[in-house]
Amino acid sequence: MHRALGWLTLLALAAGLVMGFGIAPREVTQGHVQRIMYLHVPSVLVAYLAFAVVLGASIAYLWTRRQEADRLAQASAEVGVLFTAITITSGSIWGKPTWGTWWTWDARLTSVAILFVMYLGYLLLRSMIEDRERAARYSAVLGIVAALDIPLVHFSVYWWRTLHQPPTVLKPGPAAMPSVFVAALLVNLAAFALLYAYFVLTRVRLLRREQEVLV
Amino acid sequence: MPDNWEFVLAAYGLAALLLGGYWRRLRRLERVLTAAPSEREGIGGGASPSPMRSMPLPPPEVRERRSP
Repeated sequence: MHRALGWLTLLALAAGLVMGFGIAPREVTQGHVQRIMYLHVPSVLVAYLAFAVVLGASIAYLWTRRQEADRLAQASAEVGVLFTAITITSGSIWGKPTWGTWWTWDARLTSVAILFVMYLGYLLLRSMIEDRERAARYSAVLGIVAALDIPLVHFSVYWWRTLHQPPTVLKPGPAAMPSVFVAALLVNLAAFALLYAYFVLTRVRLLRREQEVLV
Repeated sequence: MPDNWEFVLAAYGLAALLLGGYWRRLRRLERVLTAAPSEREGIGGGASPSPMRSMPLPPPEVRERRSP
């Protein structure tokens, strides 16, 4: 099952590359550099998903004290940080030719940077506390507090005047781009979601084994 | 506007490095955890609470002296 998910993920990633580079046409205004969108947007959406799972698992842990919920929160936070790093680097690289700068302290970029640092802190906190139960409890609280930044990131482009464009996918009404671009975006989103599931399942399994070994 | 392929390649290349690096980390951790306990001690140090915290074991003669 796990191996099948791995192969399915690999196939989906290949399909995403074909859609992004082979099927989707060159964008008229930005040129080929717009193809970074098929990497940037799915990675931020999967990061949202990962941190939402951290939130849910943290609440579940505080409620039930089940180790499985704590393992899921830790695994999801790790993968979320990874996808946030991809979001920030790809966005920065995309920003240079389109905005003329690698980085600017506008509301969207700053709130994403805060999100990244908060979940890095979450992982750091876990690694610093020796007592597993205490580490799980403290990080569950941080996992809930840090999730407050997710709506801030998403709505920052509406609440403040930013250089960053408004959301492309998670917004009411039809998509503001041709269907072939949307299709390429959705295929890549599905591929990244599968990759997230594969990484999290693997990490949860390893965390379980790690605890068995240490007992 | 120029096509800026180098930016596209840099973005995808960096993402591949990050994802590949994490995948390799998971593989390495899996190898450590599935290894025989003696091998795991050699990698993890045995004294450390986590198999990921690497602390090399002392040489065999020191270990023999320490053992009861």
